[in-house]
Amino acid sequence: MNLQRRRQNPPVTVATPWFTVTARTVLLAMVALSLLSGIAGGLLRVGVTLPTTADSAWLAHAALAHAALMICGFLGTVIGIERAVAVKLRAAFLAPLASGAGGLCLLLGYALAGAWLIVAAAAAFTVVNLVVVRRQRAAHTWLLLASAIAWLMGSLLFATGQGSMATLPWWFAFLVMTIAAERLEMTRLMRRRPGAQLSLHAILTAMLVGAAWSAVSPRIGGVLYGSALALLALWLGVFDIARRTVFAHGLSRYMAVCLLNGYGWLAVAGAAWAATALGAPVRDVALHALGLGFILSMMMGHAPVILPAIARVKLQFGAFFYLPLAALDLSLIVRLGLGTSDMPLRASGAAWNAAALVLFIATIAGSAVAWHIKHGARSVRQNRP
Amino acid sequence: MTLAPAPVGPRPPFPYEGPEALAETIVDALKRVVDPEVALTIVDVGLIYGVTVTDQKVHVLLTMTSAACPVTELIIEEVETELDRAMPPDLLIEVELVWQPPWSADRMSESAKRFMHW
Repeated sequence: MNLQRRRQNPPVTVATPWFTVTARTVLLAMVALSLLSGIAGGLLRVGVTLPTTADSAWLAHAALAHAALMICGFLGTVIGIERAVAVKLRAAFLAPLASGAGGLCLLLGYALAGAWLIVAAAAAFTVVNLVVVRRQRAAHTWLLLASAIAWLMGSLLFATGQGSMATLPWWFAFLVMTIAAERLEMTRLMRRRPGAQLSLHAILTAMLVGAAWSAVSPRIGGVLYGSALALLALWLGVFDIARRTVFAHGLSRYMAVCLLNGYGWLAVAGAAWAATALGAPVRDVALHALGLGFILSMMMGHAPVILPAIARVKLQFGAFFYLPLAALDLSLIVRLGLGTSDMPLRASGAAWNAAALVLFIATIAGSAVAWHIKHGARSVRQNRP
Repeated sequence: MTLAPAPVGPRPPFPYEGPEALAETIVDALKRVVDPEVALTIVDVGLIYGVTVTDQKVHVLLTMTSAACPVTELIIEEVETELDRAMPPDLLIEVELVWQPPWSADRMSESAKRFMHW
C-alpha cells in the first residue's frame, strides 16, 4: 500500500475537516465519560462515595458496569481509535464509536443495548484487524487479530449474562494480547533468542485455554490463566527491549520504566489470579494488579506517544511524568498489600488509585499547555522579521 | 596534473540519488526523527528505503515496522518538517510510505544493533 503526501515549502496550514474534528471530539468525550464514570463506579464498589454523586442513578449503573466501562468503554474505545488511526480507514472508527456508545448506554441504564453495542464494537474491531493482517502477515498482527476475537468472546459472554467469572478472563486477554503483540513486534529489534516466539505463543495459548476453561471450571481455568500471566511477565522481563531502552534517557527511559513496572505488577496479578482460583481471598489483587498495575502502567508509558497520534495534542515531556506513576505504585501497595485484610485500607488505597489517575490526567493536560507555551513562543520568535 | 577529488561525506546509509552536496544535510535531517519507543533514529532503525532529489522535489521512501503502528502519520509529519527546515525552499517534499519489502532487523545500523546488544 502506498500513501502519498506532499508538502509545499513554506508549509501551508490546512484546516482539519469539520467531520474529523466533530468525530474526534465525540469519541474523546465518550472515552472521558467511560473513564470517569468507571472510576466513580469502582470507588462505590469498595465503599467510597464521591460527595456530589451520592444519589445519582448513573452511579449505581457505573458500579454495576465498572469492568465494562473501564475495559470496553474506555480502553476498548482508545485501542479502537488507535487502530483506526493506524489503518487510515474512516469506517474503522465505527468500532470505537460503538464501544463508546455502549459505555454511554450502560451508564444511562440501558444495559442490554450497551452490551450489544460492545459486541458490535468488538466485531467491527475484529474486521479492522483482518485489514491489518492483510496488509502485514506477521506474528504480531495475527496476535492483534486474536486479541480482537478475545474481546468479541468476552463481550458475547457479557451480553448473554454469563457473569464476570466467564467474561473477565476474555476481556483481560484482549488487553494483555494487544500489549503482548506490540511487545513482540518490538523484540524484532533485539537478537531473537531461539524459542522466544514459540514460548510466547505457548504462554498466550495457555492463557486463552485458561479463559475458556474458567467458564466451565473456575478452579482449573483460573490456575492456568494466572500461571500464563505470571509466565508472560517473565517472558517480557527477559525478552522485551525495555531492558535496553531503560538505559536511554528522557521519554524513552520513562517509557521503559513504565513497561518494567507493569511487568512486575503482571507477575503479581498472575500469582494472585491462580491463588484466587485456589480459594485465597485475593481477587481484588488479581483484578487490579492486572487492570491498574499492568495495563495502566502501559497506558501511562505510551500516552506521550499515542495521544499526539489519536487526539492531535502535542505533549511536552518532563520528569514530572514520573509522579503519577509513583503515585499509582504507592496507592496499589496500600490497596493490594496492606488492604488485603483491611477493608478501610483497601478503600483508601482505591481512592488513592483514583487520585493517581486524576494526577495522570492533570499531568497530560499540563504537558499539553507546556508544549504550547514552549513551541508557541518559538514559532512567534521564528516568524518575527 | 591530477586534481584531488572534491571532499565527499560518508555515503547515506540508504539508496540515494541526487546532488552530493545535499546528501549529508538530508541524512542529518532524517536522523533528527527519533522513535522514542526504541530510543533510535528512523535512519538507525532502517526505516528509510531511499531518497531521490530532483530539480523539483525530495522524494523519500519510508516504511514502518508494523502496519498497526498508530504513530505512522506523526513520523511522516516529522520527516516532512525536518526536511522542510533543511532543504532549499524551492524543493517540494514528498514522503511515500511503503510496505514492500517488509522491514527486517537486517536493516538496522551497526550502532543500533550495538545499542540493542546484538
